[in-house]
Amino acid sequence: MISNDEKRFLEPGKHLMMGNVAMSEGALSAGASFFGGYPITPSTEVIEHLSKRLPEVGGCCMQMEDELASINSVIGASLVGAKALTATSGPGFSLMAETISMAANLEIPFVFCDVQRNGPGNGYVTEPHHNDIGFVRFAGNGEFQVIALAPMNCQELFDLTITAFNFAETYRCPVFILSDAYLGHLHEVINIPPKEEILKRVIPRELPEDTSGRMFTYKDRVSGEYVTPKPPQMGTEYCPGLFIHQPHGPDGLPTPKPMEFIEAIIDKININKDKICLTDTYKIEDAEILIIAYGLPVRSSYRAVDIARKEGIKVGLFRLITIWPFHDEVVKEVVKNKKAIIVPELNYTGYIAEQVERVTDLKTPIIRVPKVCEFHHPNDILEKIKEVA
Amino acid sequence: MARYEIRIIGFGGQGVITLSKMIITAASLYEGLAATQTEAYSAAARGGKCWAEVVVDLDQDQSQIDYPKALAPYDFSIVLSEEGASEMKKGDLKDEKNTGFLLWDTSTIKKFRTAKRVKALGIPIQKLALEKFGNSVFGNTILFGAFMKISNIFSEEAAIETIKKFVPESTLDTNLKAFEFGKQKGEKFLQTLMEAN
Repeated sequence: MISNDEKRFLEPGKHLMMGNVAMSEGALSAGASFFGGYPITPSTEVIEHLSKRLPEVGGCCMQMEDELASINSVIGASLVGAKALTATSGPGFSLMAETISMAANLEIPFVFCDVQRNGPGNGYVTEPHHNDIGFVRFAGNGEFQVIALAPMNCQELFDLTITAFNFAETYRCPVFILSDAYLGHLHEVINIPPKEEILKRVIPRELPEDTSGRMFTYKDRVSGEYVTPKPPQMGTEYCPGLFIHQPHGPDGLPTPKPMEFIEAIIDKININKDKICLTDTYKIEDAEILIIAYGLPVRSSYRAVDIARKEGIKVGLFRLITIWPFHDEVVKEVVKNKKAIIVPELNYTGYIAEQVERVTDLKTPIIRVPKVCEFHHPNDILEKIKEVA
Repeated sequence: MARYEIRIIGFGGQGVITLSKMIITAASLYEGLAATQTEAYSAAARGGKCWAEVVVDLDQDQSQIDYPKALAPYDFSIVLSEEGASEMKKGDLKDEKNTGFLLWDTSTIKKFRTAKRVKALGIPIQKLALEKFGNSVFGNTILFGAFMKISNIFSEEAAIETIKKFVPESTLDTNLKAFEFGKQKGEKFLQTLMEAN
């Protein structure tokens, strides 16, 4: 647990830092006290930074023998009451998938920072590539829902990491921060708010109030709503014994009702989409053409919108800050009556374009702008805008 | 929006990345301009070719650099290795008044054809740092001084604050001297440019 609160927070004001470091500082501000990981380019600065910072605040940073051990240590730490995280890149992430699905099923909260890079081991490992977007959504066997956030600058890497920990505490599910090789190594000035302001934003890890043994999400019989209790801590009266061997049901008790159980772990997140799905808009009021973007390409899109507007083209930008869950209803509304939708993505598959296609009228053209290893220059997007204008 | 694109190229260990961090610190932390910096990392930053880029927006109202990568033609290029010199073309630098400068190290680069065709200042940085200040690490501060004067994108106060932040206190005096030396080199260079016009 964090014992040295003095050093947990950086001095308020402007700091110049690298994306990976901003993410790590965000985790410390959110109250993270355990990091378990195995270094991998381009996420290594996270473990480097936290190996210095966590011991200063009475936390623990462990370099494990491999990725499987790393994620298992994170789950273990969370089970005994620590806010915990790991950071890795695509190849490490695929090795961790087994435990992620277990944690999701057992509603063990943790934060996962994926600094995405191109290719497998022998790819262009220092180049950005949003190729884990699909993997994150179904990271492991079984059915469950995760939350994934896509920051676009260093300030957001700090802020959204706090949000990620809050989501993990509230909904008890794996929460991903989708950074990438470029963003992780970008240096920018970030503004650190005063300690009091950060503490107001942070949801602390607390013991459950309910001692009836209801440790998991259940449907309240009276209100019909899902209730997610605070995560139980092993070794306390709230969590007697090794509950992890037992299946559990929607009443929060270890009863084998598979359908209701799956409903509960997916719907507890889906019914809260309005709170979870963070979005932003830019000049969409009168837009005829709409750009839908997330992560780094958002920055190029802002520029493209500005240039196109100067030339009289009515174009706007809809930004997804939360990628998963995908808010069907909201996107359905913004794409209505548009001349065309442009989806610039830092991958070839177009994971989000597929989602947009699902909720858009068949007549509306959806134009993908794929890029791999280098992100979009504003002109790449502008070209497409002009094509459809 | 008034982007100022800077690219530094050399080999690992020369201080390419440190210099880029000093530039962004002075421009963003002390001058309050929006700026981004990226660098070669992992194996690329050790031993072999090493590069770093800084983009500064000279427009005070800009809060974020939309496109954080430095784009050629650059406003300012610093070249410290043969490899970097051989890769550089004239078109890599802006051909406009008060911009498109090249700063290079004549003690590590023997042949630099492009340097003759652009607004270039060559200083035997490594050699001078060793001879005048006793250690080649002071080469960075010489470059920083020359960069500050020639680019004129942040104030001398901002530059001095940055040096104080970056160097150990015991070497501060020598660093400030090296900075002053670089600044004068930059000043002389600007004068010769003016006279040539």
